[in-house]
Amino acid sequence: MDEPIISVENLTVELGGNPVLRELTLTVSPGEIVAVVGPNGSGKSTLLRTLAGLQPASGGEVRVFGAPPADDAAFWRGVAHLGDEPAWYPGLTAGEHLELMAAVHPRARMDVGTALEVFALVERADAAPLNLSTGQRQRLALAATLLRPSRVLLLDEPERGLDLGFRLRLAELLAAYRDEGGTVVMATHDSGLAAHGRLISPVGMAA
Amino acid sequence: MSAGSGVGARGGAGAGSGIGAGGGVGAGQGLGGVRAVRGFLRARSRTRSTSLDRYVTLFCLLMFAAVAGQPVSELLTGLAGAAGTVEPARLGAGVALLALGLAGFLAAARAAGPVLMTAPDASWLLLSPLDRRQVLGRTGRALLMVAVAAGLVLGLGLVAVLGAPDQLGWRVLGALVLGVSASVGAMALAVLARASQSWQMWLVVAVVALLVVAVVAVSGQVRTVLAVAAGAPLTAIAVAASLAAAGSALLARQAWRAFGRIPAREIAAASTRGGHVADAATGVDPSALTWIAEDNHWRGRRLRSRRWPALPAAFATAWQDWRRLARRPGRLAFTLATAGLPALLAQAGGAPGMLGAVVLAGGLAVAASAATGARRDAANPALARLLGIGHRPGLAARAVLPALLAALWTSAALAGLTLTNPTPSPASAATLATSSSAPMTGAGFGLGVAELVLCGVLAAPGLAAGALRMVRRRPVDHSLPVIDTGAGPVPLGPVLWGVTGIDLALAGCLPALLALSTAPPQPGPYLVAQAVTGAAALAGYVLRAGRAT
Repeated sequence: MDEPIISVENLTVELGGNPVLRELTLTVSPGEIVAVVGPNGSGKSTLLRTLAGLQPASGGEVRVFGAPPADDAAFWRGVAHLGDEPAWYPGLTAGEHLELMAAVHPRARMDVGTALEVFALVERADAAPLNLSTGQRQRLALAATLLRPSRVLLLDEPERGLDLGFRLRLAELLAAYRDEGGTVVMATHDSGLAAHGRLISPVGMAA
Repeated sequence: MSAGSGVGARGGAGAGSGIGAGGGVGAGQGLGGVRAVRGFLRARSRTRSTSLDRYVTLFCLLMFAAVAGQPVSELLTGLAGAAGTVEPARLGAGVALLALGLAGFLAAARAAGPVLMTAPDASWLLLSPLDRRQVLGRTGRALLMVAVAAGLVLGLGLVAVLGAPDQLGWRVLGALVLGVSASVGAMALAVLARASQSWQMWLVVAVVALLVVAVVAVSGQVRTVLAVAAGAPLTAIAVAASLAAAGSALLARQAWRAFGRIPAREIAAASTRGGHVADAATGVDPSALTWIAEDNHWRGRRLRSRRWPALPAAFATAWQDWRRLARRPGRLAFTLATAGLPALLAQAGGAPGMLGAVVLAGGLAVAASAATGARRDAANPALARLLGIGHRPGLAARAVLPALLAALWTSAALAGLTLTNPTPSPASAATLATSSSAPMTGAGFGLGVAELVLCGVLAAPGLAAGALRMVRRRPVDHSLPVIDTGAGPVPLGPVLWGVTGIDLALAGCLPALLALSTAPPQPGPYLVAQAVTGAAALAGYVLRAGRAT
């Protein structure tokens, strides 16, 4: 059996004195898609932020790549995290944000032209991101996340703002990422997207 | 409980009437609705002020007036006295600076909105049947206060430039009325420009006219006119002040009426876009204004995607700042043109120490204006994490452009100072510095052009470090205590926010500042010390900031 790429033991997280996650245990193997499901407020986003090292744990242990998550370049080269909409750089077009991502990551998973096609942004490549629709901005953020190489994807509600057609396409893209050996942990309310992975719920194993 | 029910009922009635009448809510009804909502919010606010708070504030203001009254009076007398023997060249430069200041105020007000609200107000009150003008009442009052404050500074400047040969009190009053009238009128014009295209044209005309006035004043073509203005009789000043006040009041009235016509999309775009929610929720945060202006600009631009150059990863990330700069050549040209301002200030009678500080402050501002990438990464690091660049190499690469621009600007400003104000020998500089009849006929730095240019270049790393610290500072921490001092309460949060960045720039440029203030006969050691201090400030900041998340 493969060494787990993510292991969480007895994780407890409190926010403002309120327990959001309590005694959570989770193991994720390489090449696996894990869908974190549950009602609003159940701690899905908190779990993802904890895995990314952005939220300190109140108790328990979190290990990614065999070590606690560290907010450094080496960690972020292996982990791609997409939470809320990122702040776009002023003066750059949508296409140039992808160009930038490809310039920083020489071994990109796809070239910029392909990414624009795959994420249906060819027509809007010259637009400033703030002039895109909500769904288009989400596609741009996903394009940037999936263009760059990574070993683990942490996605918080990647379906946010996407139309039904593109949600299906996203499921295929994530499956392709998994087939390349990547690991996905995503919080989602989309049952179709969740069906492609192993379901877990922060308040208890749902499946 | 009873307060909540009452407010709910009144608010509901107001809203219902507004919708039913097709938006034709009467002024009184709208005002009642807004008052009810504001009262509701105030009643539930954790930071609502009590009668005691208001009493303490009033008491502190009175104490401040009592304590500061004498020094302000002495300052005014000093300003007027110093200006009483002013040279025509100095008069022209002073008027040019005032005109440029007012043009800058007008442009800044336009760029910042100026009609913007806190994000919660924009989200909850703007898109509602409440009377728009009443909803914006608080914004209007804030704009008025800003304009009055700017106008008082302008008025003091006017006193300093024109002087007061007689009747000091009345002349100061006249100058303050003129200054406040100008700034309130300018703010009203900026508001009106949001409401209609024709007023937008008038705003451009006003800015251009002020720039023309500045150029003409500094060229020395209207020295006679300025001399006549400086010695104008009191009645003429009273007439001018009355006319200015009347004109300004008319514009302010027009602006207040236009408040109801400003499209919600304009206000919402200026108030709620992107990450302003967090900034605005904690109170008015000055950094939000730069974000608003920046985003507004790029949303209105038509861009064409270009290939990214093949650079090492950290520099590829920092290339964003370079590309942004290249896409605003007009702004870059304007920024570089402002390097002439210190020379203008020198002509207006600035002392060497003050001129040195102004040059370094200008260099810091220029460096900070080129560090938007670092600012965005600090405020929202999601994209930086996605890029996976280390903090230190990323920050070091982002420091190159601010340092380069600061070096260019500072060197140009210092060279401009010596070229337009030839530096005399140290002995004659000492004589001139103590002579009020020949104020600053030389820049008085006691350094040659080459040494000054070198000084500017060597100060650049320190300025870049200060700029990076400034743009990466966190929002104002309003939870910090308010310190009671002899001069009144001082809110620690905004003060600390204000000095963050300036502190490092000051430390990193201290040898340069000393050299510029004291005119040492042997500047070599100062330049060497500046080279070491500047490099150490930048390297230390990058290393230290690189540890942070």
